[in-house]
Amino acid sequence: MNLIETDIAIVGAGGAGLRAAIAAAEADPKLKIALISKVYPMRSHTVAAEGGAAGVVRPDDSLENHFHDTVAGGDWLCDQDAVDYFVAHCTEEMMQLEHWGCPWSRKQDGHINVRAFGGMKIERTWFAADKSGFHILHTYFQTSIKYPSIRRLDEYFCLDLIVDDGRCQGVVAIEIATGELVLVIAKAVILATGGAGRVFVQNTNGGIVTGDGMALAFRHGVALRDMEFVQYHPTCMPGTGLLFTEGCRGEGGILTNKDGYRYLQDYGLGPPDPWPRNKAMELGPRDRISQAFWHEERKGRTFTTPHGSAVHLDLRHLGARKLRERLPQICELAEHFLGIDPARQPIPVRPGVHYTMGGILVDLKTAAPLAGLFAAGECASAGIHGANRLGSNSLSELGVFGKMAGITAAAYARDTSVAPTATLERQAQDVERRALSLITAEGGSERLATLRDEMARSMEAGCGIYRLETEMQATCDTLAKLKERYRRLRLDDRSRVWNTEWLAAIELGYQLDVAEAIAHSALNRRESRGAHQRLDGYTTRDDAAFLKHTLAHYRGDAPPRIDYAPVNITRLPPGKRAYGAEAERIEQAAKEITHAT
Amino acid sequence: MPPDAAAGGAPREIMIKTLRYRPDVDSKPAWQTYRVPFTEDMSVLQGLQYIKDHLDGTLSFRWSCRMAICGSCGMMIGGEPKLACMSVLRDYYPGELVIEPLAHFPIERDLVVTVGEFVKKIESIYPYLIPKTARRLDEGEYLQTPLQLARYETFSDCINCMLCYAACPQFGENPDFIGPGAMALLQRYNGDSRDGGEEKRMALVHTENGAWSCTAVGYCSEVCPKQVDPANAVNQNKTRSALDYFLRFLGRSVDVRSAPPGGGAP
Amino acid sequence: MSGARPYIRPIEPLWWARPPYLAYTLREATGVAVAGYAVVLLAGVISLASGEGAYQAWLDFLRSPWSLALHLLFLIGILAHVWTWFAIMPKTMPRLVIGDRVVPQSWITAAGLAVAIASFIVILLLAKWVQP
Repeated sequence: MNLIETDIAIVGAGGAGLRAAIAAAEADPKLKIALISKVYPMRSHTVAAEGGAAGVVRPDDSLENHFHDTVAGGDWLCDQDAVDYFVAHCTEEMMQLEHWGCPWSRKQDGHINVRAFGGMKIERTWFAADKSGFHILHTYFQTSIKYPSIRRLDEYFCLDLIVDDGRCQGVVAIEIATGELVLVIAKAVILATGGAGRVFVQNTNGGIVTGDGMALAFRHGVALRDMEFVQYHPTCMPGTGLLFTEGCRGEGGILTNKDGYRYLQDYGLGPPDPWPRNKAMELGPRDRISQAFWHEERKGRTFTTPHGSAVHLDLRHLGARKLRERLPQICELAEHFLGIDPARQPIPVRPGVHYTMGGILVDLKTAAPLAGLFAAGECASAGIHGANRLGSNSLSELGVFGKMAGITAAAYARDTSVAPTATLERQAQDVERRALSLITAEGGSERLATLRDEMARSMEAGCGIYRLETEMQATCDTLAKLKERYRRLRLDDRSRVWNTEWLAAIELGYQLDVAEAIAHSALNRRESRGAHQRLDGYTTRDDAAFLKHTLAHYRGDAPPRIDYAPVNITRLPPGKRAYGAEAERIEQAAKEITHAT
Repeated sequence: MPPDAAAGGAPREIMIKTLRYRPDVDSKPAWQTYRVPFTEDMSVLQGLQYIKDHLDGTLSFRWSCRMAICGSCGMMIGGEPKLACMSVLRDYYPGELVIEPLAHFPIERDLVVTVGEFVKKIESIYPYLIPKTARRLDEGEYLQTPLQLARYETFSDCINCMLCYAACPQFGENPDFIGPGAMALLQRYNGDSRDGGEEKRMALVHTENGAWSCTAVGYCSEVCPKQVDPANAVNQNKTRSALDYFLRFLGRSVDVRSAPPGGGAP
Repeated sequence: MSGARPYIRPIEPLWWARPPYLAYTLREATGVAVAGYAVVLLAGVISLASGEGAYQAWLDFLRSPWSLALHLLFLIGILAHVWTWFAIMPKTMPRLVIGDRVVPQSWITAAGLAVAIASFIVILLLAKWVQP
């Protein structure tokens, strides 16, 4: 097996992975960095993010506001020390991107422009047209080229972590172009592999978002935290699940049901006017808006499309000129896939899975409980999103915690040595044997697509926007059966060069493990909070019993063990999540109290 | 999942004929045809996924985002360089849909071509901001008006899909030509008001494999799925290169080094 | 020993004779019309310098049916040349900014064609005016 020796190995070259690589290279140019990605970096799913990245800039805004919006948006499941660190460093990261050339959209005077976004009290979302993720990713990628110490392993598929003596000491990967395996020995490993949205049927994610790093850490004893919290983005294209950015609503877009009625006012987000208004109506948080859709559907007030029911995202009143200037990609998507000109017709939309709030348990410095392992980005649970992520906090997360991971891993690597190569090579050979057995197995009867589709349908049914114990249990049972059937997988493709069926099979294995973590975490949380909503008697938030993080622990073929850890609440005690008129009333009352004292 | 039957009848089927190449068993590429049921809104990518899921798992192709922003799924569809996710099957029915790997690139397997050389070209053009003036982070952003942004914005929209390289016959004849995509990125930085690295990049432009392999065929800009207009990036640099060449006789120093080897690190 | 063996397909040698490149080839070929017309004019200048007889021969040639046919071909070629020249012209310049807007490329082409048509009319009028 080929051997590469490096100081830091980073798995995943999206926003977080690239930022970590740059940070590590700047922290210590003498350290060797291997940046491993199963796709070329510019294909990473960061590229599809549209709306923008949060960072306090306006003089009438404050870190305290961003902190409050984030903690409330997360329904108080956020670790407040992590949120404090996060909001304090967002703006610096956005500014760093600007200095590295990111083409942020500007005001007429040349300063950075910020737009309104869901759940945010004051405009603080930096944006680059409606392709913010694309521009951020390309800026990081192109900037990373400046650093000779970053060695990229493009189109290398990570198979497993190498753990020896209680420390992570490298990874084994497949060089996709040849099918040959390589052992990358590293003093520190950073996982930046993204989310796991592909375990659902309708999702905004690209094909590569299969929870690889989450599964790898999980299998090596690292807990996956808060996995039950899966974000449904309210405005996705029916069928494909492709994303229509929240920025549409930031620019003033509205949601109407089949009667042309702005239904969100019936769900505690009103009144509808004046519009636009932050934290109200269509600028409420994503979980509440997706849940409102679900209720409208039950009431029969959505309309039917060939790909399921939908409501209308109406952008007509923005006018053609503003649409082309601020939301050009949205116009393209609507026109190309749906034959709709958003200036003339509303766009049919429905919720689709978009983001995984949960992930690999890490501390404030992005270190996982397994020594030598770090994680950043969507694959990690840094503690900032809680039960529901606010839009534009995720792109900022890439910069803030990507940088933290790079610096922390660099410091760790400097003071570490690795085990003798022979020891690690033996482990690597086991990994190779197991991976190759997928191609060489005889007598199997299960088809990859069948298992994958059954998993996705089951997850969609049991872990949807609203959940029932019976359905979640059914999903847990189905997943257990699918894991067993997975052992009888038979692949058509038994070659080595560019065998993407082999890679998809390995990804399915990752997805089944991650899906189990999601389903069992959901089943055991007997309350409704943020994106985890139940209809079976546990319909309200229960701070007394469940103001805590869920931890899922891997147990091989057996279902994961679920236990809990406290939430770090430093200064904002749990309160009511209020939007629209209710929020305004509460704020007004608070102001009056302040004036009175 | 298999597509639902079209309203009122049996599902329609389209014949997809695709080039196959398995280096471990094939000495050269050969055609294979599949019968694929489809609905009105199915993309070519979804057609390929149907083949892989239900008919033949050995068909390899790149894909990810499904929305023409990642640049993975470029291939020859009906003889034209297109993104599979943005092409629809119904446009090719009732004839046979012919799919081939992206033209002008070595085929590694089926519809997968070698991308590495293109990435090396991207890396060679100093594809990062070299600021004209230094600025600390705490001093805030470099100012850039919407008009200044408009001067280079389309060049920054390139998704690195390489359709323009498949379109360019000069690249087909000469794989060392830096090509439309790399030139678009070069112009993205040269045209950015914050950037001061133009001279470094012009050294590459002046060479035979720089702008001067281009004969203004213009097909690259026609096939670009993001309206980047790489033809404009290359040809305005021919004008610029010619100007630089003649102006040097007036005493303007232009460093006409040969192109640096790949890597692009300063 | 990896099994990777990239395959390089040979370039179609007649690519320039088939769509979509045929249009490009024809565009380039219009340069022949420009060159051809220049040769005819050069012949005229040389024959003028060679004396009355030579010059008359050249004028006779110009009036001959072969010459008219040739000039018709030249005219078609040069019209196509003018059209495609201005179509490609905006590609050779950076984005043109006037005031606070980027000028669309089609306007630059239209402006070029307008100048060409205006020049044609001016020269036609001039020719009429100097005619004895």
